[in-house]
Amino acid sequence: MTCNELRSDYLLHALGVLEDPERGELLAHLARGCENCLAGLREARQLAFAMGAAAEGPEPSSSLRKRVLAGAGIESGTRWHWRTAWQAAAAAALIAIAAVLFQSRQYNAELADARQQLSRSGAENATLQAALAVLQAPATREVAFGPGASGPPRGRVFFNGSTVLLLASNLPAPPSGKAYEMWVIPRGGMPAPAGLFSSTAQGTALHLYTAATQVIQTDTIAVTLEDAAGANAPTTQPLIAIQL
Amino acid sequence: MLPLILAVLTQGDGDLVIRLQKRDPEALAQLYDQYGRMVFGLILRIVQDRATAEDLVQETFLRVWNRAGGFDAGQGAVGPWLLAVARNRAIDYVRYRSRRPEAPLEFNQTENPALFAGLHDDPSRFTLIGQVKTALEKLTEQQREAIELAYFQGLSQTEIADKMGQPLGTIKTWMRRALQLMREELGGGVAA
Repeated sequence: MTCNELRSDYLLHALGVLEDPERGELLAHLARGCENCLAGLREARQLAFAMGAAAEGPEPSSSLRKRVLAGAGIESGTRWHWRTAWQAAAAAALIAIAAVLFQSRQYNAELADARQQLSRSGAENATLQAALAVLQAPATREVAFGPGASGPPRGRVFFNGSTVLLLASNLPAPPSGKAYEMWVIPRGGMPAPAGLFSSTAQGTALHLYTAATQVIQTDTIAVTLEDAAGANAPTTQPLIAIQL
Repeated sequence: MLPLILAVLTQGDGDLVIRLQKRDPEALAQLYDQYGRMVFGLILRIVQDRATAEDLVQETFLRVWNRAGGFDAGQGAVGPWLLAVARNRAIDYVRYRSRRPEAPLEFNQTENPALFAGLHDDPSRFTLIGQVKTALEKLTEQQREAIELAYFQGLSQTEIADKMGQPLGTIKTWMRRALQLMREELGGGVAA
């Protein structure tokens, strides 16, 4: 085929939808360094950009900017970083504790409670930092589950080396005395426990698990509802099962 | 909308890309401020669901943030690359949701940063956006539908023929004619 006959194929190729035999013909031209076809493809990519840019739509929500920046581990608005924010939160909690010391005869119990809160905050901070590290790592792979469904859980699993990060929504809070348990299942092997977690009142959950071996050898990630103490093997049907 | 697009896109991207490569947080914020609405509009058009579109916008910017190192700031424009990444994310999602068997859009074929060398962000190029809208409006309904199925749903001509209930040859003729009309409407400046 001549370059002129291929002209109508440039845009389809730039969009990744050109089929054989036209695709093979165009690739052969490009492999020969055909200047006409290379220039035509550049123009087609410019056109593709213009078509995408012209797809008008409503404004995204005002919180999306913050989400995008947070996804890359960047704070928006104020220039506080996670560590600064948590230090400030810890300082505020300590001030509250001091006030309690002066005002309450029950200060020992309340101080213990405040210490627990600070401990939880520190643990949450560490989890968030670790989760952000997984999200930012170039080698991280991801698999979506349950998209488009309104009822069942949906979300994504990110895995990188020996670490698995599960982000889920539509996951109701477990009943009293129960917890969600994640399992890593090697190909042809038995499920291995990968940690207990809960979900928020809004039905969202974040669970981070670091395995002793490479998760890349794992075939499936699953989540079941178990007793709060956890189980050594799944005792219920999986609510989530993601083939990696 | 168009004046906003033109105003935003006529700014140079080279410095922005260099700052992205240096992991400057302000650069990502600037990239979002310049292109966030455009990326959201494109993804929403494809997936037709606001919540999903916002998830995919987040993925798109994270992907570009993590892969900016492969982009030649002196050779290409980040806008076309960003929108290609956004389109791929959205179409992959739609394919997954509809259980279409195709493989994800091939990275090296559609969103490898090297493919965007030689593209420009100068003002005359971006009048192209308005011209493209006008050109699309001048196509017949069937021609426009075929072009939009390829662009917004990532369908091949064979799939478009199935979806529109027409012979493959008819679809190829419609699309060839549509692209020829667009080329004429755009004054030969684009090899559509």
